[in-house]
Amino acid sequence: MAEPKKKSRSEPNPGAIVVTGTSGFKGSRIIKALEADNRYPSIVAIDARKPPPDTRKTRFYKLDLTETLADVKLAEILKNERCDTLVHCAFPITPPKNPSFAHELISIGTLYVITACAEARVRKVILASTTDVYGAFPTNPNFLQEDVHPPKGDRQSAFLADKIDAEKQGLKFAAKYPDRVVTILRACTILGPTIQSYKTNYLRRPFVTTIMGFDPLVQFIHEDDLIRSFMRTIEKDCPGIYNIVGDGVLPLSRVIKICGKMNLRLPQMGFKTMVQLMWMADISPAPASHVNFLRYLCIADGAKAKKDLGFVPQFSTKEALLSFVGAERLREVRLIEA
Amino acid sequence: MQEDNTKKQPAPLHLLPLKSKKGVLNLPTPPLPKGGDPDSPTLKKGGQGGFSDEKTDFSRLAERLEKKIGRIETEFRDSITLLNRDIRDLLHQKNVAFDEKTVQAELNALYGQLEARMQKTVEELSRREAGKREDKDAVRVIKDKTAQLTRLLSLDFYKSVLGRLTSAEHEEEVDPFGMDYRLVEKIKPLFDFLYSKYWRVSVTGIANIPNEGKALIVANHSGTMPYDGAMIKTAILNEHPKRKDARFLVEDFVYHMPILGTFMYRIGGVRACPENAELLLNAGHLVIVFPEGVKGIGKLYRERYKLQRFGRGGFIKLCMKTGAPLVPVGVVGAEEIHPIMMKSNILAKTIGVPYIPITPTFPLLGLLGCVPLPSKWFIHFGEPIRLDSYGPKAMDDELLVHKLSEKVRMNIQEIIFDLLRKRRSVWLG
Repeated sequence: MAEPKKKSRSEPNPGAIVVTGTSGFKGSRIIKALEADNRYPSIVAIDARKPPPDTRKTRFYKLDLTETLADVKLAEILKNERCDTLVHCAFPITPPKNPSFAHELISIGTLYVITACAEARVRKVILASTTDVYGAFPTNPNFLQEDVHPPKGDRQSAFLADKIDAEKQGLKFAAKYPDRVVTILRACTILGPTIQSYKTNYLRRPFVTTIMGFDPLVQFIHEDDLIRSFMRTIEKDCPGIYNIVGDGVLPLSRVIKICGKMNLRLPQMGFKTMVQLMWMADISPAPASHVNFLRYLCIADGAKAKKDLGFVPQFSTKEALLSFVGAERLREVRLIEA
Repeated sequence: MQEDNTKKQPAPLHLLPLKSKKGVLNLPTPPLPKGGDPDSPTLKKGGQGGFSDEKTDFSRLAERLEKKIGRIETEFRDSITLLNRDIRDLLHQKNVAFDEKTVQAELNALYGQLEARMQKTVEELSRREAGKREDKDAVRVIKDKTAQLTRLLSLDFYKSVLGRLTSAEHEEEVDPFGMDYRLVEKIKPLFDFLYSKYWRVSVTGIANIPNEGKALIVANHSGTMPYDGAMIKTAILNEHPKRKDARFLVEDFVYHMPILGTFMYRIGGVRACPENAELLLNAGHLVIVFPEGVKGIGKLYRERYKLQRFGRGGFIKLCMKTGAPLVPVGVVGAEEIHPIMMKSNILAKTIGVPYIPITPTFPLLGLLGCVPLPSKWFIHFGEPIRLDSYGPKAMDDELLVHKLSEKVRMNIQEIIFDLLRKRRSVWLG
């Protein structure tokens, strides 16, 4: 009991911002943005792997969310640090090969984080999610809205089911403690000069496989815009779910054309089986449950984020794509490091 | 003269190195203190060394030239790497990632620099050489070498990046609902042919469509294949002086299918659901709906021109919510293009379509049976019905909605009967 008192005296602002999953893309970029901002004197990074590089005011705790009693340990850390805001982005961007690990990390890990937050009286919890949780269906309206259309995911995708489960836990927490702020940011496909995910891997291959006769619309968000949206939620209290998307849409075929790749159109029959086999053989970037995203529409409406969050993306879908493609080409000629 | 002027404008980047001598960049030629222009005959005067002397050891001269060119080459390489670093820094700092215009400007500047520097060096070199020996051959060799050098340093990387980026720039975008204006332009002649030559559509009451703002166009559905939506769209495009923005809502089942679903999106169709229709109306579009749905296009020939049940009145709720006027439309003639004798539902279920029609021509003549028959069409746009006086709250009153929906149905049925009364022949009108 004595220790936290000492700490509170030394710290002028007791509200620390805790970021989980700081070795991942989102976490590391958020830490970087927080480091650069003088309004946040106290930052805590939590990850199972290496600490974020060259940080001044960030304190790092090594914690694996999949281990037992992770919630107790996390609650202790949050209490000691007098955590005010927790940004939970310890999620894999790419569906992992090991489904049980994915379940442990996404679903159970979020459960631990939420219980620790409840215990340590964290005022604000921000969860990172994706618009993929809506699922791609032919019956989707052209613009999916947060409060109207429930996330349906995909019947076969355990990855998306876990994501939806994580969101549900966040919403349950919000319902149980009305004085806390829970924000869920559903970002669409992230593109930019540095991001690495299964979707960029898909666009990086020389032959991009699509399904014959289908050409769904896709939308992208630039990675800087994504981090900006997180910073916006940290500084402003906005409970609820928000779609974070770039303006405009592009047909998949045009995306591939802009990337300068060859569009390999394969018949629908047997495509899923082929993708599943390739996924098992480590060739395909995603399991077969993601094939529907090559077939049907999954476009989210960013109007609510613009209205309530005041978040206006600075890059449109096409600009985000061009920035990714440009960086790829510079990487090709080794003008920027991989 | 004008052509000459245009030629002197900065050429596209990848062309620059090939015509370095023509003064493509309009660089002011620096005044030459001694020798003057290397090409000019004045050079011969300023020379000191004898011409005959040099011919003997011309190989030595060539060697020296080679060395000098090598030096220029390394200098150029250095400057290019410097500029590369600048560009890279720019990309890293600003995180602008890749803006074609800035990169293009940057590269143009780079080329300007390179060109200027090269010209300067060449001139200096040639001046020096000419000052010593007034050797025309030497000047020619230098010129050849520089031309070669510029070709060598033509920066295929920049060329390829620019080439690919400009190709990206030309990529057309689609509108948020997936309509491709280029494709629509491309297939418009076909629709125009069907409209004016094949079905000879005669349109009345086009003035009932408001000149601006949103409106919901409610029509009867018929014809096995949904040509009627395309023809109403074409009618508005061709006949109405001010409206060009008609979009139509398309049945769900189309979007399950390959090719057809994507095609519908690209020519301006949108999946029929209240959210989409509301977004379109709020954006001020004309929206064409067929409340009969699949029941309308799939009815048998003996049931022709009998309107089916109008869904669940979603279109009425839509008008109440958005305040859009409702324009009833009757289409006559579309029922005869594919007269359905029978329907096969069992086979259809396995393919995933609502029904497979059996017409006098269809399975019998194979693909030829898909050609619609050339009946004469009539389209009449009725008086607009305003529902905004009910307000958005009336949406919950299901009875009222059903009553209004029935009223609209009767209205369209009246229009159709009127048109049928006037029509004397199916094929000639």
